[in-house]
Amino acid sequence: MRTPRPLRPAAGGLARRAVAAILVAALAASLAGIALAQPPAPVRVVATTAMVADMAREVGGGCVEVTALMGPGIDPHLYRASAGDVDRLARAELIVHNGLGLEGQLGAVLDRLGERIPTLALAERVATAAADRLLEGEDAYEGRPDPHLWLDAGLWSGGAVIMADAIAGLRPACRDDVHARAGDYVALFDALDAWAAASVASVPTGHRTLVTSHDAFRYFGRAYGLEVHGIEGISTESEASIADIRATADLVVATGVPAIFVESTISPRTIEAVRAAVRDRGGDVAIGGSLYGDAMGEAGTAEGTIVGMLRHNVVTVVTALGGEVAPWPDPLTGWAQAWGLP
Amino acid sequence: MELLALLGDFTVRSVALGAALVGVVAGALGSFALLRRQSLLGDTLSHAALPGITLGFLVAGSRALTPILLGALVSGALAALFVLLLTRATRLKDDAALGVALSLFFAVGTVLLTYVQRHAGAAQAGLDAFLFGQAAAVLPTDLTLIGGVGAVALLTLTLLWKEFKAVAFDPDFARSLGLPVLALEVVLTLLIAVAVVIGLQLVGVILMVALIVAPAAAARQWTRRLEGMVWLAAAFGAVSGVVGALASASVRGLATGPVIVLAASALVAASLLVAPERGLLWHAARSWGQRRALGSHRVLVDLLRLGQDHRDPAYASEQGMLDTYFGGPTGHVLRRLRRRGLVERVEHMPEEGAHWVLTPAGQSQARALQAPFGDREPSAGREGPGEAA
Amino acid sequence: MARPAHGLGPGMGPAVSVVAGVHEPSLALHVEDLTASFSHQAVLWDVDLNVPPGVLAAIVGPNGAGKSTLLRCVIGAVRPTAGHVYVHGRPYREQRHRVAYVPQRTSVDWDFPTTALDVVTMGLYGRLGWFRRPRRQEADEAMEALAMVGMDAFAGRQIAQLSGGQQQRVFLARALVQDADLYLMDEPFAGVDATTERAIVDLLKDLRSRGKTVVAVHHDLQTVAAYFDWLAIINVRIIAQGPVREVYTAEHLRAAYGPRVVLLGAADGAGPMDPPASRAPATGEGDRRPVT
Repeated sequence: MRTPRPLRPAAGGLARRAVAAILVAALAASLAGIALAQPPAPVRVVATTAMVADMAREVGGGCVEVTALMGPGIDPHLYRASAGDVDRLARAELIVHNGLGLEGQLGAVLDRLGERIPTLALAERVATAAADRLLEGEDAYEGRPDPHLWLDAGLWSGGAVIMADAIAGLRPACRDDVHARAGDYVALFDALDAWAAASVASVPTGHRTLVTSHDAFRYFGRAYGLEVHGIEGISTESEASIADIRATADLVVATGVPAIFVESTISPRTIEAVRAAVRDRGGDVAIGGSLYGDAMGEAGTAEGTIVGMLRHNVVTVVTALGGEVAPWPDPLTGWAQAWGLP
Repeated sequence: MELLALLGDFTVRSVALGAALVGVVAGALGSFALLRRQSLLGDTLSHAALPGITLGFLVAGSRALTPILLGALVSGALAALFVLLLTRATRLKDDAALGVALSLFFAVGTVLLTYVQRHAGAAQAGLDAFLFGQAAAVLPTDLTLIGGVGAVALLTLTLLWKEFKAVAFDPDFARSLGLPVLALEVVLTLLIAVAVVIGLQLVGVILMVALIVAPAAAARQWTRRLEGMVWLAAAFGAVSGVVGALASASVRGLATGPVIVLAASALVAASLLVAPERGLLWHAARSWGQRRALGSHRVLVDLLRLGQDHRDPAYASEQGMLDTYFGGPTGHVLRRLRRRGLVERVEHMPEEGAHWVLTPAGQSQARALQAPFGDREPSAGREGPGEAA
Repeated sequence: MARPAHGLGPGMGPAVSVVAGVHEPSLALHVEDLTASFSHQAVLWDVDLNVPPGVLAAIVGPNGAGKSTLLRCVIGAVRPTAGHVYVHGRPYREQRHRVAYVPQRTSVDWDFPTTALDVVTMGLYGRLGWFRRPRRQEADEAMEALAMVGMDAFAGRQIAQLSGGQQQRVFLARALVQDADLYLMDEPFAGVDATTERAIVDLLKDLRSRGKTVVAVHHDLQTVAAYFDWLAIINVRIIAQGPVREVYTAEHLRAAYGPRVVLLGAADGAGPMDPPASRAPATGEGDRRPVT
């Protein structure tokens, strides 16, 4: 006995397949649409110093997710990468560092990773772009440029466009956004630059000498009209010698500066030793405050940004040396309000 | 003069004074470490101080030296206790136990140091200065602390002098006298730890052992009594400190701590070479003197024997013959003997060269030299000419 | 006799009656139940030693038998796990000032910067107490002690420059200067020349004639009978103790040194006054020490 098979299933199977295909296509199209409509995933940026991290954040905005290796108060000359650091660097999409030998102990790691991960040596690129505005290094940095670029607001802002290009290279969709932010950044820094110059100009001419623990402020000094003198050389890897202390004390007595300054990353003892020597020579000098040279302040404070760092330095130096701080410029009022500063 | 200008400078004087104080205390107490064969103890104590320094730093920052030194002392003392435990509870000998303690504590200290550098922000500024010292930054308050603590240590040493001497020389005998040997050893170790700790700011953790060992080692070469050794070691320590400070002050960029250590090492090297009775040069000079005397004696005896062979005490020996017996040229020896009036040169025949004869004084001297070996038959018992010199 | 100047003195501890504090007053040295171990290995086990006063007592035994440890336990350099020590009836720590100890000559680094006189003066440190320095009187007494051992000409000599026998004599002088009643010596005859050996024997006899007691670890079985009148044979435990004639037998020696001991000549124990060459039997010992 045979039961005749109906013909409909074969014809229904064909239709079913067609419906399925249409549904899949529609789904794919809508997914693609959704995907296109989403902003691109942020670039995983790992920065070495907090300064370059700050610029990366400001310029990159939502397009980046920035991790800084060195925390506040860390001396970049001496910092050594831990296993965790190397791991983080290896998983980055973009590595940003200062370059010019500032991160003295990270050279090998960065070289090795630079072969497969896009790496931006920010200060080096700025140096190439503005070679005439660089300062020659001394001592350990003999024959190479001095790496402490961030203390010259005008020079540092030149890195914004370079940073924007690097980010845009990895996320083309972000190009307009980051370039706009870079433009804002440059404007802010230009205002800051002008304000700093005006403030320092109010310091009596005889007092325009900046004495600090080490030679991190040469760009700062040149940009804003101060003679700088560090007890130690540019790198903190060496130990201050007796001759260094004596030379500094002689300078202080000769110029008659009212104040000398400690740095946040360096033991204040060398400065205190200079003060003791000055007092023995019959003079006196105050310790004008702590400056941010190699590193910024605590994260989450105003001094944890470059603007805040420079502002703090200028205010501290100008006040201690007997000058008057210029009025805070308009383009930066927004910034000041955001941080709750006058 | 350059040197006077340096000495007149406040910073140089401060550093030199601090270095001298540290040198005195380290030299005096290092003598005991050296004599008890615990020189490595100074190294262990200084390396083991690192965890304590780091913690003291966290507590008080680098402005105040006292918490840092207290931390260093505590962790150094813990390491010393650890060494004691190791040697008593296991089969490890002193040197192995010291090595273990040194490595362990220094490793802990390094891990702590790098952790602090990452997380404590500005609070750790200047911590690594303790690895190699930062002598140039010594402040007047530091000098007071170093001087005060050092004085207390030296006073304790003076008060317990004979007890330490007895324990260092013969601990079992000291015990039999009723001395609390273990307690005294603990106090002595603590004093050595104090000596190490007050020097850390000037010379650093890594090199401090040199100031404990070198002045004592140098002093050992010159003295016969413990009192003298300790005084001299203290003096050598002070001299190393001052010389190191002055030398490093004259060049920009020259670190003081290592130069002090170099000065101390130079003292040791000089002492090992030059010291009387123990010095290498002294031994060499004595050997040389003895060889010279031996040469003189042999030539005198040879002349005597030749005379005996020829049955003529005034026999004139030809120099060539003497050269043969001696195994080498004797001209300089003969001239020396002539200067002492023991031989005379005579002309025998014009074409035969120099001849030499014993004077009466020379004869009696030669006989005295020959006597210990017994009067032998002149021609018998003779190996032949040309014994090697 | 002055009280011991260092240490805590006898007054620490619960009050006990005078009778209870005295133990075996007729013995110069009474050791009870002494047990000591290093790294869980017994070095001394249940040692009872009863040395009468006025004897020259020798302690002999194979290497590692605990002889030095016994002395060091008595003076407190080693902490025994059990046992008590009494000297002339009272606990050792009350009688320290009546006991003088002469350690093994090799236990000290003779390169130490000090003179013979200095070393002997150290014997007086116990009497001086804390914070007092040795002065003229102490120096004089030390010189007398050096004279007693014939070393007064060497008073200012560095000890590194002394021969073995001279060093041993300095050690003895250091003990003599303490004017003790009981002398504990660790191998006083080891490594000394014949002249020094004779001198030490004379010294010991002199001590005995003045009523002192000497307990010496002795390394040379040959001379035991000649030099000593009382003997304890020990090998972790006491094998035998008593007058030399009774104890110095083949049976006891075998018990201590092992069955391979060979005795040459009669083992009838020559009297302590006989010269060494004649009577004492030679033994081939079970341990590593060569027979002289």
